[in-house]
Amino acid sequence: MRMSLDIVGKNMIRVDALSKVTGKAIYPADVYMDNMLYGKTLRSKVPHAYITVNTKEAENIDGVIKIFTCKDVPTNEHGVVFKDHEVFCSKKVRRIGDPIAFVVATDIKTCDLALEKIKVNYEEIEGVFDPISAMKEDAPKVHEGNNIMYHYKLRKGDTEKGFESSYVIAENTYKTHMVDHAFLQPESGVSYIDEEGRVTVVVATQYPHYDREEIARALNISEDEIRIINASIGGAFGGREDISLQIHLALAAKEIKRPIKVVYSREESFISHSKRHPLIMKYKTGADKNGKLLAMEADIIGDTGAYASWATNVLRKAGVHATGPYYIPNVKVDSIAVYTNNPFAGAMRGFGATQPPIAYEQQMDILAEELGIDPITIRMKNMFKKGSETATGQILTESVPLEECLNKVLEDMDLNLDRKGAY
Amino acid sequence: MKRIGRGIGLSFYGTGYGNGFPDVSRAKVRLLKDGNVGIYVGGTEVGQGARTIFYQIGSETLKLSSDNISFITEDTSLMPDSGTAAASRQTYNTGNAIKIACENFMDRLREVAKRELKLNSTQGLKVNNGKIYLEFFPRKVISFKELAQKQKGNVIEAEGEFVAQTVEMDSETGQGAPYWPYTFNACGVELEVDVLTGKVEILKTRFAQDVGRAINPHLIEGQMDGGFAMALGYVLFEDLNINEGRIKNQKFSKYLIPTAMDMIDLENVIVEDPESTAPFGAKGVGEPVMIPIAPAILNAIYDAVGVRITELPATPEKLIEAIEDSKEGRVVKHG
Amino acid sequence: MIEIQLTVNGKDYTVNIEEDKRLLDVLREDLGFTGVKEGCSEGECGACTVIMDGKTVNSCMVMGFQANGSNIVTIEGLEKDGQLHPIQQAFIDIGAVQCGYCTPGMILSAKALLDKNPNPTKEEIREGISGNLCRCTGYSKIVKAVEKARGYEDES
Repeated sequence: MRMSLDIVGKNMIRVDALSKVTGKAIYPADVYMDNMLYGKTLRSKVPHAYITVNTKEAENIDGVIKIFTCKDVPTNEHGVVFKDHEVFCSKKVRRIGDPIAFVVATDIKTCDLALEKIKVNYEEIEGVFDPISAMKEDAPKVHEGNNIMYHYKLRKGDTEKGFESSYVIAENTYKTHMVDHAFLQPESGVSYIDEEGRVTVVVATQYPHYDREEIARALNISEDEIRIINASIGGAFGGREDISLQIHLALAAKEIKRPIKVVYSREESFISHSKRHPLIMKYKTGADKNGKLLAMEADIIGDTGAYASWATNVLRKAGVHATGPYYIPNVKVDSIAVYTNNPFAGAMRGFGATQPPIAYEQQMDILAEELGIDPITIRMKNMFKKGSETATGQILTESVPLEECLNKVLEDMDLNLDRKGAY
Repeated sequence: MKRIGRGIGLSFYGTGYGNGFPDVSRAKVRLLKDGNVGIYVGGTEVGQGARTIFYQIGSETLKLSSDNISFITEDTSLMPDSGTAAASRQTYNTGNAIKIACENFMDRLREVAKRELKLNSTQGLKVNNGKIYLEFFPRKVISFKELAQKQKGNVIEAEGEFVAQTVEMDSETGQGAPYWPYTFNACGVELEVDVLTGKVEILKTRFAQDVGRAINPHLIEGQMDGGFAMALGYVLFEDLNINEGRIKNQKFSKYLIPTAMDMIDLENVIVEDPESTAPFGAKGVGEPVMIPIAPAILNAIYDAVGVRITELPATPEKLIEAIEDSKEGRVVKHG
Repeated sequence: MIEIQLTVNGKDYTVNIEEDKRLLDVLREDLGFTGVKEGCSEGECGACTVIMDGKTVNSCMVMGFQANGSNIVTIEGLEKDGQLHPIQQAFIDIGAVQCGYCTPGMILSAKALLDKNPNPTKEEIREGISGNLCRCTGYSKIVKAVEKARGYEDES
């Protein structure tokens, strides 16, 4: 029996709606403080190079307060899983957009002028831009060690036997591309020292406590000395999980002890933050005469670009979800993440579960057509129900209303498509 | 010439960080001096509606109007860590933490009320509408406000923590219980392909999303609409155009995302099947709502013009090329 | 530096600005109307939409000096005597707001549309707001809110 509830289940008006429709909601860029300085980031213009940086001329420009580089960061690294990002690149850049220096000046125009005057000597190295090439032994290495940075294996039953018993087998390779979150509010933030002496960063982030942890680590101060204020956030979709400007801002406020503001342009936003992993998904799916799935193999290769970010978790999630919501007795999945010199990939809505359906749901239709059955019948035959076992051996003990979902769709859409003689 | 096609997409999605990694949300509930209740929680409102969901869960659990509750969700110096606003985990994980913290807080209130009301026990003490009273002798009653004023410096507060249950997978076989709960959905799409221009127009959708139990139907519909739009851009036109590591489409005049003209009114269906480990049965939907759309569109394109697009995005140019190829002895890509 | 005069939300202002300053920055930095948002700086996203002499403009594409003598309405100017504008109210009631970053520009585009065409069809509404990008809502509830606002305006 359902519990009777007062507020749950009701369309309560969003608590943040009023401030948003009146323009009163404060996003980080809306914060203006007295005595405020501005900051801008110098970013790599090439995808793979050894660098040396000379800031001398830029420092002498009137209005430039300070230029931060790797030398100014006590622990020059960060990263959600592996600490493979540098706060500022020290010896090498691995992608276009890697941060090299951070200029703080009295106004934005002076920041721009200073960025032009910082001399970066790029000694370019051969780059690698597709994950298949990057997996080769002799490929240029993006980090120390192999470019293959993660391999998830899923083994259940015996796929060879499963394919032997199959009446139809569909084999195809599917490729998805890198895309951007394109949230409407580009990254921005303001830092200052608060009345209790804490390094305070006003930012729009998906995880304020993580930002605090990374700042503490990079600046080598305790978390109690840091305060993150999460302002209104103009969309995120996974693009605000990795560190962007938080450490730069905290470092500058700690050293200069004045408020500092950073607002990324749309271009800088595109160039600096993570992307959705592009996946190459090689699928082989077999079914018996009646459309019952017997075996599936998937080789998944994900390009995580220059940094790991969430690659391990994303490619793991892709592997776990590779079967789709279907019971298959024999499954073999290999899901691999590879470094390249592309923009780095990380979290984006669906997080590795978004790409495989491009493959597995087309495979289902292809098998159905081969067998002369319709797309609904083949799905109904194989779909997860209460009590089903997933490919990882997990039992779906409750709340598995997939059939109900499909039936709701069918209530007002005829999808029992008969393709015989079509086209 | 235009051809109409229909397609279906099904998907499932496992919630949370997963794979045995500690997925912890915390919340703290405090009786404020004016008798209102403050709830401190590190869950972030990114636009998805988490803050509103938090109010609804807090208000329902405390049996208190949301007008008497203040959520503090912005300042790390005031709120406990509730993990990332990611993995569709805020409703389930942080929602659970808030519910647990509120329940612990009500236990604390009963204990203090027992003392103030000079009762033998907390048995039979009800908390409702800002009052604590003995159910079978309602004259024994004290309001939150009275209770707060009598506390002279003592703070009445309680914490709550929720840790999701997952089992790390074996490194060789991948066997384990990597996520919980799972969420399911199905989307049907009817569309039209212009075989001369390659342009795809969505004509009708039926999109059914399992939510466990809906905390706020409007917010869920908003997620479904937005997830559909994001998937539409993903499958048909969004393209960074990256060459040798350089993003060529790095602004909105080049990186095209859906406008109001690309979208239609969606037929969204919320499917409820409460999950026993979830707060009031509710599962998160922020990510799942994006997932079945792209394959439904690709299957509908095939139904319309008989070509399988195996490489995203399915741009007009790519579609026309595939249609031309299929005319010259239809390429059957499958075995 | 040049001096410009403009009316914003019914109030007159005189400001000294640099010649290359955009109207967007004048409104945000000099006059404090931070409800005007910057999203792309190239007139594509509509987050910085304001109504200038009755027409919507992207304030990132208008130079400050070009606004000299003009009458501008920003999101901050829609409330009258503490009452929300019907479009603002409809956005709240229908749930047309998510992250909120496109919302001010979206509401102003809707207002300009309804001011010109009090009875738009759904298609006309979609067209009317097609210069305003939203990444969260899929536009459905925004379109519904504009339809509803039409009704509210009839009532008032």
